[in-house]
Amino acid sequence: MAVGSNTERSGTVTVGFDWLSVALVLGGVLLLYYVVPLVSLFLSVPAGDILAQITNPTVVDAATTSLLSASVSTVIATLFGLPLAYWLARTDGAVMKGVLAVVILPLVLPPTVGGIVLLTVFGPGSPLGEAAVAAGFPLTRSLAGVVLAQTFVASPFVVVTAKAAFESVDQTLEYASRSLGEGRLTTARRVTLPLAGPGILAGVTLAFARAIGEFGATMMMAYYPRTMPVQIWVAFIELGLDNAYPVAILLVGIAVAALAVLNTVASNPWE
Amino acid sequence: MTLELSRLRKSYGQFDFGPVDLTVDDEVLAVLGPSGSGKTTLLSLVAGIAVPDAGSMRLDGRELVGLPLEDRRVGMVFQEGALFPHMTARENIEYAARDGDRVGSLATLLELDGVLERKPATLSGGERQRVALARTLATDPDALLLDEPLSSLDAPIRKRLRDELYRLFESLDIPVLYVTHDQRTATALGDRLAIVRDGGIEQVGPPSTVITRPTSRFVARFTGTENVFDGTVTDRPSTGATVSVGDVRLQTTVSDVPASAVTVCIHPSRITVEAPDEADENRPANAVTGTVARWLNEGSEYRIDVECDAGSITLTTNVRPPTFERLALANGTELSVLIPRESIHLIPEHE
Repeated sequence: MAVGSNTERSGTVTVGFDWLSVALVLGGVLLLYYVVPLVSLFLSVPAGDILAQITNPTVVDAATTSLLSASVSTVIATLFGLPLAYWLARTDGAVMKGVLAVVILPLVLPPTVGGIVLLTVFGPGSPLGEAAVAAGFPLTRSLAGVVLAQTFVASPFVVVTAKAAFESVDQTLEYASRSLGEGRLTTARRVTLPLAGPGILAGVTLAFARAIGEFGATMMMAYYPRTMPVQIWVAFIELGLDNAYPVAILLVGIAVAALAVLNTVASNPWE
Repeated sequence: MTLELSRLRKSYGQFDFGPVDLTVDDEVLAVLGPSGSGKTTLLSLVAGIAVPDAGSMRLDGRELVGLPLEDRRVGMVFQEGALFPHMTARENIEYAARDGDRVGSLATLLELDGVLERKPATLSGGERQRVALARTLATDPDALLLDEPLSSLDAPIRKRLRDELYRLFESLDIPVLYVTHDQRTATALGDRLAIVRDGGIEQVGPPSTVITRPTSRFVARFTGTENVFDGTVTDRPSTGATVSVGDVRLQTTVSDVPASAVTVCIHPSRITVEAPDEADENRPANAVTGTVARWLNEGSEYRIDVECDAGSITLTTNVRPPTFERLALANGTELSVLIPRESIHLIPEHE
């Protein structure tokens, strides 16, 4: 009940909002808003149809492209992102703040705008794009284009989450390790990385989930080969909503798997 | 092995450390000072965590400035132990040990045999510090630095571990720098005491000398001399100067006082009290009469403030419970305060 009488400890009776109930109702509505469409998606297509369509070559191709490109993007993001995350975690001051702002930029930039800025550097009209095409390794309309788009959009997740994970490792432990005669590399391998591991894994998982779902920048950079989000769009536009369901269900499955990783081996950064 | 610091300097914004000159042989140098005085900076510089702006540090002839932490062979025991939380006690010690036998012998030496398979989070504060110590000693360092290793422990454990440390330090033949803000720990463990203040070393010497012959008011107060007064030397025969504090005249054994304005230091533990009628006029001590103004039960001792000679000075002293009870001390009790002549220390005032 949102409105009711309330007996307080002092014994006085007040009439007013029961804020806890209000909060529960508001939150409940929001939760339903998340869950109902997902359930509805699974109810929209008979299970048999899903299985039949999922083995369709276009769907298999899109899934292969997505999983491959997202894996490569995630590896690149991790490789390039971890050292930067470590530096950000162990540095203070204006320079660090500026660098962090640059890292967060792709997160707040609309993905289609991200695609446009990438095209100005890697597009067929740019010197770099031209050279790449001449070398037989086009950076647009190729798997490389997909990876470039996904890395741009997804890598900040690795950097930002791993930065927090490194910050949670007391620097005294690193000093202790080194004063015991172990160098920086051994210290990183045996002390810092194991302790920051769950947080880093969370960042890697988030980056992978973001890369798998990347649509806007990918559309601009590489319409072909089609990733799953692009395939959903094409199926929806050309063949209607029903034909977009199977791939969408696949992507929901991957999202759930990412959540499972976050809540088990990784440390969920939002908990 | 010798650790020699010369003209060592480091600035952090508002705080200037040094220049510090210090030589530590195979001994325990207890570094005592208030928080923020630069004790931890000193250790950080020697360990290699902080880089000095100028100066040099030589350990056994090797220059340490410019060497990374891992190449200094300087062992450091951190305040809370800094044990690796994802490793057991044994793994922590093995991390540092050059050979496996060392883990066993250190575990026995530091009474850790029962806790080796446990993670740091399940160890008590005392056990954690012993593991940290074992881990550091496992590297056979050329010098040992300890940053307030006992400060986070409860009193009984602190006392026990302090006794263990004393025995352990006896067996080490390397320079040991022991940083603390606790005067009792410093005097108990230190072969010498270094008093640090505002980034500089104020006085270095054996604990008994630093405590009984402080060279400044700060050192006097910080090492427990609660009776610090402005005094004037009125007479200076070769047998010892006479100094007046307010209306009280005190005989000393100090024969060479350059200035007439002096700071008079009397450590509370050197003062005794007696009932007025017990006082023996022929004793070679200054006898002052006074009344108890305040007393405080500090557990093993009573701390009493005695207002002497109609309130012109207040002397603080410690009294053991049997004396406290025998004299039936209470606020207002009249006493005779005895100050041995040799217990009065004079610091010349610099104009």
